[in-house]
Amino acid sequence: MITAERKPLEEILQSVSSFDRILIVGCNECVTVCAAGGRKEVGLLASALNMSMLKAGRPVQLTEHTLERQCDPEYVDELAQLVTGADAILSMACGCGVQELARRYRDKPVLPALNTKFMGAAERPGVWAERCAGCGNCVLGVTGGICPIARCSKRLMNGPCGGSGNGKCEISDEVDCAWQLIWDRLKALGKTDLYEQNMDAKDWRPAGGGGPRRIVREDLTE
Amino acid sequence: MTHPETSKTPGKVLVVGGGMGGIRTALDLAESGRDVVLIDRSASIGGLMTQLDRTFPTNNCDLCTLSPHLSEAGRALHIDLRTLTEVTAVSGGAGSFQVTLTTAPRHIDLDRCTACGDCLRAHPECVTFTPGLDHRAPTCMRYPRSIPQAYSIDLARCSDLEDLVACCPLGAIRPQEDPVVVQETFGAVVLSPGADVYDPTPIATLGYSLFPDVVTSLEYERILSASGPTGGKLQRPSDGSAPKKVAWLQCVGSRARRSEHGHSYCSSACCMFAIKEAIVTKERFGAQIETTIFNMDIRTSGKGYEAYYQRAKDESGIRFVRCRTQNLTASADGALALRYLPEDQDAFLTENFDMVVLSTGFVVGPRLRELADIFGVDTNDHGFARTDSFHPVSTSRDGVFVAGLFEGPKDIPETMVQGSAAACMATGLVPAAAPRPSDEDLPPERDVTGEPLRVGVFVCECGENIGGVLDVQSLVDHAGRLTDVVLSENVGYGCSAESMEHIRATIAREGLNRVLIGGCSPRTHLARFQDLLRRAGINRYLVDIANLRDQDAWVHRTSPELATAKGRDLLSMGVAAARQARPLADHTLPMSQQVLVVGGGVAGMSAALALAERGLRVHLVEREARLGGEALKLRRTLEGEDVRAGVKVLVEATEAQDLIQVHTSAIIVDHSGLPGKLKTGMQVGPQLFYRQIEHGATVLATGAMANRPSLYLLGQHEAVSTQHDMESLLEEEPTQVLGWSKVVMIQCVGSRTPENPDCSRICCQSAVKNALRILRINPQARIWVLYRDLRTLGMQENAYAQARQQGVMFVRYDPGSPPQVEADGEALRVVFHDPILGDDIGLRADRVLLSTGMVPDEEAAEELARIFRLPRTQEGYLLEDHRKLRPVDLPTMGYYVAGTAASPKSIKESIAQAQAAASRVQTLLARGAINLGAAVARVDSSRCAACLVCVRACPYDVPFINADGASQIDPALCHGCGVCAAECPAKAISLQQFDDEQILAKLEGLFERRTA
Amino acid sequence: MAAPTPELEPVIVAFCCHYCAYTAADQAGAQRLEYPSNVKIVRVPCSGKVDALHMLRAFERGADGVLVAGCLEGDCHFSTGNLRARKKVAQVQRLLEEIGVGPERLELLLVSAGMGSNFARAAREITQKIRALGPSPISEAIAARAMNRA
Repeated sequence: MITAERKPLEEILQSVSSFDRILIVGCNECVTVCAAGGRKEVGLLASALNMSMLKAGRPVQLTEHTLERQCDPEYVDELAQLVTGADAILSMACGCGVQELARRYRDKPVLPALNTKFMGAAERPGVWAERCAGCGNCVLGVTGGICPIARCSKRLMNGPCGGSGNGKCEISDEVDCAWQLIWDRLKALGKTDLYEQNMDAKDWRPAGGGGPRRIVREDLTE
Repeated sequence: MTHPETSKTPGKVLVVGGGMGGIRTALDLAESGRDVVLIDRSASIGGLMTQLDRTFPTNNCDLCTLSPHLSEAGRALHIDLRTLTEVTAVSGGAGSFQVTLTTAPRHIDLDRCTACGDCLRAHPECVTFTPGLDHRAPTCMRYPRSIPQAYSIDLARCSDLEDLVACCPLGAIRPQEDPVVVQETFGAVVLSPGADVYDPTPIATLGYSLFPDVVTSLEYERILSASGPTGGKLQRPSDGSAPKKVAWLQCVGSRARRSEHGHSYCSSACCMFAIKEAIVTKERFGAQIETTIFNMDIRTSGKGYEAYYQRAKDESGIRFVRCRTQNLTASADGALALRYLPEDQDAFLTENFDMVVLSTGFVVGPRLRELADIFGVDTNDHGFARTDSFHPVSTSRDGVFVAGLFEGPKDIPETMVQGSAAACMATGLVPAAAPRPSDEDLPPERDVTGEPLRVGVFVCECGENIGGVLDVQSLVDHAGRLTDVVLSENVGYGCSAESMEHIRATIAREGLNRVLIGGCSPRTHLARFQDLLRRAGINRYLVDIANLRDQDAWVHRTSPELATAKGRDLLSMGVAAARQARPLADHTLPMSQQVLVVGGGVAGMSAALALAERGLRVHLVEREARLGGEALKLRRTLEGEDVRAGVKVLVEATEAQDLIQVHTSAIIVDHSGLPGKLKTGMQVGPQLFYRQIEHGATVLATGAMANRPSLYLLGQHEAVSTQHDMESLLEEEPTQVLGWSKVVMIQCVGSRTPENPDCSRICCQSAVKNALRILRINPQARIWVLYRDLRTLGMQENAYAQARQQGVMFVRYDPGSPPQVEADGEALRVVFHDPILGDDIGLRADRVLLSTGMVPDEEAAEELARIFRLPRTQEGYLLEDHRKLRPVDLPTMGYYVAGTAASPKSIKESIAQAQAAASRVQTLLARGAINLGAAVARVDSSRCAACLVCVRACPYDVPFINADGASQIDPALCHGCGVCAAECPAKAISLQQFDDEQILAKLEGLFERRTA
Repeated sequence: MAAPTPELEPVIVAFCCHYCAYTAADQAGAQRLEYPSNVKIVRVPCSGKVDALHMLRAFERGADGVLVAGCLEGDCHFSTGNLRARKKVAQVQRLLEEIGVGPERLELLLVSAGMGSNFARAAREITQKIRALGPSPISEAIAARAMNRA
């Protein structure tokens, strides 16, 4: 899941300061699940903006709408009519959603209300942590299901650095040393031999080093 | 759902007397499926309570709290209500009494009379309500919402019969009617005929027959009452002027030492009665009115009553003067001159008052003595039906039970308890009747979806309760101007049978599809109005109540303008929300027929036995290793009964009962489930084995603890002990007592203090009991009882008089300067102030006995209240649903309280409450299924993001993500808290009845006026 | 002193849970304990039902103060709704801070059903506090707009 957080209200206010009619668009996918941009957050932001504007003596017209998914053109089409009545669109989706809106509604400023953070998982209710860096060449099969790219601060591919201590990363006691986790897990699985194997230098081209990435499925294209 | 069939032809129960106690009995019996004939000798039911203006300690209006009960009684099909009816002969025995009932002619056809009042206007001389109580006031309508809603005619006083018959537009007047005499068979009889009120005429010094401004408390009550002769204005009967100084004289006819001055016992309710009247006088007619209560002791020993007394003294400024007054004469300026000798003075004083109220108590008059004779039940010297501590509502005649004042002077909660207890006892003799095909024929429910909104607003005046503070007319006008409101009106007492019918008819006639009541709390009255909507043919969830009484008029009495403005806001909010209301379906669940009784003391065992004997399976849980509780430490009651023997009988019966499973050494650890299907887990025995039981109802009989405060050297000196400690010592070591020459008892030790504000109720009688027991063993002993107010209620007063007669010295102390106790070798030195002598007295006592009373068992009570989620009072006792009218039911349906877990009480009172709890349980389980209402969470799966937030947040693990990838919530399992709805990030969940639209609409309604 | 004009009085919305706070408010009435009429009660089944959105909307519409009232800790009829309410109140307080509406205008009250006097006292105290703080900038802005329009 893609995770995101709302930008500080101040920054959002700044970005919409020159508009009178603002359409706030939520997304019912990842950002709903991570409580950043679902129907409820749209309501809270609308209310907060409305109050801030009232207070500033510059009331604005706010419209709330939440799409099933902001990164698919068909859903985004739904907005056409609402967009006509707006001076700007404030998107509460991840960066994909913001860009899709911007692509579809070329003549309207589309502003992000969220900072898109990472691909992650819910550690416990209310806590999300990064799990995948989208490197395009998954090694989880040899690293005991723990990603050294997403979870090692240095993205090391062959064991920990010298800063690992007591199972924690040197950057913070809050961060587990990914390689410690990998070792523990491999040991539990009886697969420490995998740890001994040297991994070749990582080819970062599939990770985006070769420019923006695409996936094409010929069987599905129209 | 079945009840044990004890005979093929189910019998009926006769309930004699339609006062509060009788109504409670009849309702309990009807709800547990028994057929009841409820008779009353007067033309309408309601008894004494219908004459009261408000009741303590809530200062509630009685008409308002009572009329819903009356409507219930009138509606229940199991109840055959016969007014103007008396018992004239009885034969047979338990299970089959042949009773002759004589019904006097009403001369009005009840089926035709609509109580329009035409006959009263045309012939006031012969149209009667029960005559007004004021011996000088014009005949007043006793109770404007009477049941049945009809007048009666006194033919003897009618001069023009023909014209009378003709004046009725409905032809309902029947001059030719004769008395009707029938003989019927009843399985059991409950006597709840109430009592008479003492007539103070014979006490010449009080001038009751001489001075019109001397009135009895009941007459004063009528003067205060909105339905009374003055229309609720405080006026002197003599000249109609407003009194500036009012005095109450306590114990008129009660606690009398000479028979020409009345009776010797205490009437038990008059102190609170007088305090209430004084508070109401100041609250309603001006704080500047001087109110004085002349008393010998203030006896406020009910739950929460002591705080009421202290508030009266400290906040309302009511003056309490301790003395019996000497006489009353007329002063020159038309006032009443009262001569009295205050306790702390040595000369008589004379003070003028504008009005004097005589607090007259209860007596058993000739008609009740006759009733006792007809039934052949034993009575005591004062004519009250005789019962005993272990059989609190059983008379000497098998199958005849008693409740209320006829059993002894008492207050309303005790009457309600006995009413339910008597119902419980009667159900043992009369099996449930065949179920009725339908208890009510409901019209089909109209589908209102798609109809344009038509909101009706009905604002209650509730007498002075709302109308006395809020400008009801302006509220009605305001509501009438709100969006979609097509009708707005004042309905007086909205919950009276008459108004309910009016509202029902109005809804049907006007095609209303949303209703807002401006009335009291939805907590107490919403269900009633929901039923009404259903009867009117629309869905029950289309109504709401704006709480204009409890949360507006009652809390803003001194600023009527602001209160009215708030009333407008509450109505705007209510209408806005009502416009969003949608028809909803109820969810019902079958109910477990097992009962959990927590606490194996006298109350718990009595409740368990009563239930098991009526065929219900009971789990009795006791944390100690043996049954018996605190009563195991008691030996004798004040009346001399052997407590140990009584408890033994209970324990043996409990253990022998097949339907009772006793769990001793068991600690309750968890509680879950839904109403009707509850699960309670406990750890049993030394190994702490975990066991879980399922039950439909729960009785809390967890008791209280003997208090042992570290005061007066208790625990530090051998010769200081509690009254409680005396129980076994007096029985087993009488030789010790022989060595005592001086004994001092100190009352209210650790009670009536800021930490434990309530009176412990039982200590005064314990002190008197132990004083008499000590004197029996050692007649030479000299005993001093140092007290604040001596509170020997009812017949206990006779024992107090006996103790005084035998030389026990009763000396009052002021809590500001309490007695001093110091060690003096093996003995003690006690110093106290004698207010009569005006001097300090010091003496060397061989023994000091402290009346320490009871306190809630803080640890156990807190833990259990937490596990069962039941609220407690500030003192730590369980909080009942309604202090006066529902003293056994706890606020959560299906939970009941018995014994000292509710408040300190005697064994007799505990057993009565246990039997009452059993009755309440029966009424609940007889329904077979439980209605969970409609407040359940609903998921809009098209919005659901399957994020799991609801799954994680639900305290009951109800939601799950179904095969379609959306959250699903089973309405039968949902508890209706709405946490999921509040947490859902996709706003896909709504809690019906409390959905966002309705809540936000309330905010819109509130701020509309300001933003417009 | 002239009687206060209702329109200029601060408005405080109190979301009260049915089982404790609303019952306590009724008890205050039954005991005739006075508190300012500024407090308007909205009944909810549980304090945990009070959505952050409801609290915010109350301010948005012009409330000068908001009280979320539930059962005492450990006494929630629905187990932990009151603890959730506490977290939500803290969340909305942070948001109010961002908006520039004093977070102290939003309060949590935990009270048991029997504590009529505590409810009345809390109602008096929050009214006093809000009165001292003056109207909320939002209600002020709303009033100013209404004036301009009129």
